[in-house]
Amino acid sequence: MDLRRCRPARLAALMLALTLFAAPAAALDLRQLIRGVEDQYIGLSSHARMRMEVSTENWQRSLTMEAWSVGRDHFLVRILEPPKERGVATLKVVQEVWNYLPKVDRVIKVPPSMMGGAWMGSHITNNDLVKAAHVDEDYDFALLEETDTYWRIEGLPRPEAAVVWGKIVYQVRKADRVPLQVDYFDEKMVKVRDIRFEDVRKVGDRSIPLRMTVQPLDKPRERTLLQYEKIEFDLPLEKDFFSLRNLKSR
Amino acid sequence: MLLTLALRNIWRNKRRSLLTISAMVVSSSLLILALGVFSGMLRDMLASATEQYHGHIVVARQGYQDDREMFANFAPDPDLLQRLGRQPEVVGLSPRLRGFGLVSHGSSTYPAELLGIRPQAERGVTTLAGHLVAGKFLAAEPGDGAVLGRGLAKKLGVAVGDELVFVTQAADGSFGNDLLTVSGICATGDSGHDNSLLRVGLPWLQRVMVLDGRVHELAIAIREPMQAAAVAGQLQRQLPAGMEALDWGQLLPEMREVIASFDVSRMIIVVILYFAAGLGILNTFFMSVLERTGEFGIMMAMGMRPWRVRLLVMLETLAMGLLSLVLGLGLGLAMSLYMAHHGIDLSGSITPVTYAGGTILPRLGAVLEIDNFVIPAALLLAVCLLAGFLPANRAAKLRPVEAIREE
Repeated sequence: MDLRRCRPARLAALMLALTLFAAPAAALDLRQLIRGVEDQYIGLSSHARMRMEVSTENWQRSLTMEAWSVGRDHFLVRILEPPKERGVATLKVVQEVWNYLPKVDRVIKVPPSMMGGAWMGSHITNNDLVKAAHVDEDYDFALLEETDTYWRIEGLPRPEAAVVWGKIVYQVRKADRVPLQVDYFDEKMVKVRDIRFEDVRKVGDRSIPLRMTVQPLDKPRERTLLQYEKIEFDLPLEKDFFSLRNLKSR
Repeated sequence: MLLTLALRNIWRNKRRSLLTISAMVVSSSLLILALGVFSGMLRDMLASATEQYHGHIVVARQGYQDDREMFANFAPDPDLLQRLGRQPEVVGLSPRLRGFGLVSHGSSTYPAELLGIRPQAERGVTTLAGHLVAGKFLAAEPGDGAVLGRGLAKKLGVAVGDELVFVTQAADGSFGNDLLTVSGICATGDSGHDNSLLRVGLPWLQRVMVLDGRVHELAIAIREPMQAAAVAGQLQRQLPAGMEALDWGQLLPEMREVIASFDVSRMIIVVILYFAAGLGILNTFFMSVLERTGEFGIMMAMGMRPWRVRLLVMLETLAMGLLSLVLGLGLGLAMSLYMAHHGIDLSGSITPVTYAGGTILPRLGAVLEIDNFVIPAALLLAVCLLAGFLPANRAAKLRPVEAIREE
């Protein structure tokens, strides 16, 4: 384009348009960033094997599980060990959660009143399975702090969103956009739990933390540790894999 | 001589005396009936609150009844059970384990409370076995049998013989789950329990919840439910540290308030009814004294002392009062007995109401309680004497000469 032939007004309009387009590209898209954080274990599809260790005042549990997912809305996990619980499985499709109980060969849908209940005796709730996938849609984000190595981002619920947490604060490493820690606050803005991420590895072209620790703050001696032993992404999995029929098969 | 005079005076104006007496008889007998029915309602409520679910006294770990925390359990020491069972007031003792979870049949799933019981022991504490609408209560060896409320059965769409799945978080954090077979369906009128409570065998629930040999509470029935607080205090001394015996008044504070407010409302009814009756009596006695002004004047002129005149009028009222009392008590007793034995069934027009943890059944019955006769009787006499005192005083203060002239 020959700028000399442009009239000043047109030139101004062009410059304005350029800045308007350029600005969002340069600024950090927080929503996109959080979306990446929440989806870090998901990808187009995923298949993982993990170990969950739960310590509470009343029980210690160690489970080995196998999990599959397609997108954010389809998730299936099945217990491999211990033998007593082998075959117990959880299926999530969009907002609904079913559990399969091999001992009685029945599928039980988790009713809405029980969505806040613990999942498999851990500090992860059924709601975590369902709602976490939509955090980037249900919250508005603001940058709290930026250092050389990380961002701290605050998520506050949108007025119309039905959410569990009053506030979520993410601490995300700049270099590879890997979360370090996520703090969860209740509706009274009291911090009630945090999740720490460690053991960051390269899996394909992604960097993901293979260990997450869920820590309820009102019970400092309790925690749930989830260690990914194996994870692979973008496999040819179809959505009909996530069916009640498949939930039952061992 | 005064007494004969008094009786003659009563007899002189038969119509007025009969009217006065009948007013007293009707008011006192109706009062006795009303109080009896009131007590009956209260007894039904208390029975439904205690004998359908809690028992009169519940022994548990301290604080268990506040949040029903699964881990606040204990192993029922046979020694302790024996010691508690030996108490003279204790008539039934039932160890129970409680579990919260989901029950499911087909595609419907609902939250529920499971009470693991030993059926024979439980029969000594609660009367649930008498509220069955279908099937049977749990057998002595209940296996996987379950008795559930009618509301829950309807929501789940199950009938006797159907299969249920129970899922809960067991004590080791795993999914406790197993199948139950519906053995009976009961209806107590308490919608809360009818919609969410299942009774199952204690060993079954202990196994599913991975709480072998543990229970949450010992439910106890005693001879005199109204003495529960005192008995709970005695039982408390038998318990090891960290355990508590709670009576129904502590388990159901609202029910205790209802009982306390009953005493107040009983007095209010008595006062209102007798205030009206008392005014009527006062009126007739005044009339009878005013009519006889001249006569009193003559008696006093003949040398009768004022206090004897007063006594004469008081004796008249007392005699009428006593007669009314006997007739009123008799009539009240007869009506109360009828209500106690037959009662009135209102189930056609009203449904059971649950209030303060107890259920008011659509049935009017009566209970014979000493208080319900003594209070009306004592107050009737008091009202009668009070109503007699003012006219008697007036008669005693007459001056003979003026009184005679008045006619």
